[in-house]
Amino acid sequence: MNLSRPDRLQRLDALTAEYALGTLPARARLRLDRIARSDGAVAAAIRGWETRLAPLADGAPQIAPPLRVWPAIVQRLGLASATTPAADAPWWTGVAFWRSFALASFAAALAFGVTLFAPKPQIDAAPIVAVLAGPDAKPALIATMLRGERTMTVKLVGAAAVPSGKALELWMLPTGAAPRSLGVIPESGVGRVVLSALPDVAFANVPALAVSLEPTGGSPTGAPTGPVLYSGKVERFY
Amino acid sequence: MAEGTQPGEKSVRLGALLAKVALGDQSAFAELYRQTSSHLYGVAVRILREGAAAEEVLQEAFVNVWHHAGSYQAAKSQPLTWLTAIVRNRCLDQLRRRELDTVTMTTDDDEGREFELPSGDPSPVDMLLAGAEAQSVRDCVDALDSGQKQAIALAFDQGLSHAELADHMRQPLGTVKSWVRRGLERLKSCLDRAGYARN
Repeated sequence: MNLSRPDRLQRLDALTAEYALGTLPARARLRLDRIARSDGAVAAAIRGWETRLAPLADGAPQIAPPLRVWPAIVQRLGLASATTPAADAPWWTGVAFWRSFALASFAAALAFGVTLFAPKPQIDAAPIVAVLAGPDAKPALIATMLRGERTMTVKLVGAAAVPSGKALELWMLPTGAAPRSLGVIPESGVGRVVLSALPDVAFANVPALAVSLEPTGGSPTGAPTGPVLYSGKVERFY
Repeated sequence: MAEGTQPGEKSVRLGALLAKVALGDQSAFAELYRQTSSHLYGVAVRILREGAAAEEVLQEAFVNVWHHAGSYQAAKSQPLTWLTAIVRNRCLDQLRRRELDTVTMTTDDDEGREFELPSGDPSPVDMLLAGAEAQSVRDCVDALDSGQKQAIALAFDQGLSHAELADHMRQPLGTVKSWVRRGLERLKSCLDRAGYARN
């Protein structure tokens, strides 16, 4: 690429146009990138084309990125993790969050499909299960209860490693009310949560559970402060 | 977005957030992410066609924004244009880098190819035009010949290279290259006539 030729301007325009459009081949792209860093006129020409083509990006679909992206950015920058993009709209009210249930429920159906074909259990022994998954729909945590018992057992099955100084906290998501904590999940082994009532009562108005990332020891405020990592529907097998 | 018009309310809001981010305001940064990440992720997914790669680009882009928000100059571009360019350029760098890693055989040979009409799939054009906010850009893209229009739309929207465009549109490489080149030239003179941007 020789930008000192007499037709420099015209060539510069053609090159920067294809740079902004994306069709400039790899090597030319790298070269132009390097030149733009030291040559203001080249940088301005690129910016001009980016501006001209910008409205074409308005048609791109709006897709909510997976919930893990923000915590990853915060972590890479070493920022205070209390900063959450959901400051004025709690995550449990977001569309993307509820959409993820479709996937998580599918995972639950797969994981426990066998139960559907088993003989009908005794009513008190009927299981209640929630498979909590991230946006990739891979089960991360399984919570189980029996209809006649006031204990919930919780086991991590595929959760990502928890950064030091952090903990996973489990929440009930009652319809039309703020999340209620079920406690911090142990990093290994099986966690047990003693319920205030039998599941039919305790979970009467609770269609789903979620896990958020919190400081060690759990949320200091009693409400989720960190990003939600996993969620899943409460499935009753009766 | 044409020169001389007032920047939209959204641009003013995003510009104010960027200014705060430049000063290290973390909650402004979070708010900026909340307001723009779905758009930017959508752009990246369309180009890279891979969720994982798009996530990585989005992360890198926001890390970059945190460090370089100070270099955003409101006078020179709209905030969303600036952010979108960061994301698009990272996506394109990735795509083109992959090309460097693969040996591809392409020629400029236009001969011996049967001329075929582009497949009856105008959707990228329609999508771009439907989404375009700036009427002048919409009009100018619309005024292009259909081959030029489709090539530019596909390249912009999906990050296709010349060779991929030729493949996709079932046209000789040289034809596609000249569609892109001529299309961009015509787009520019049309926008210049309409008084649209700059530099």
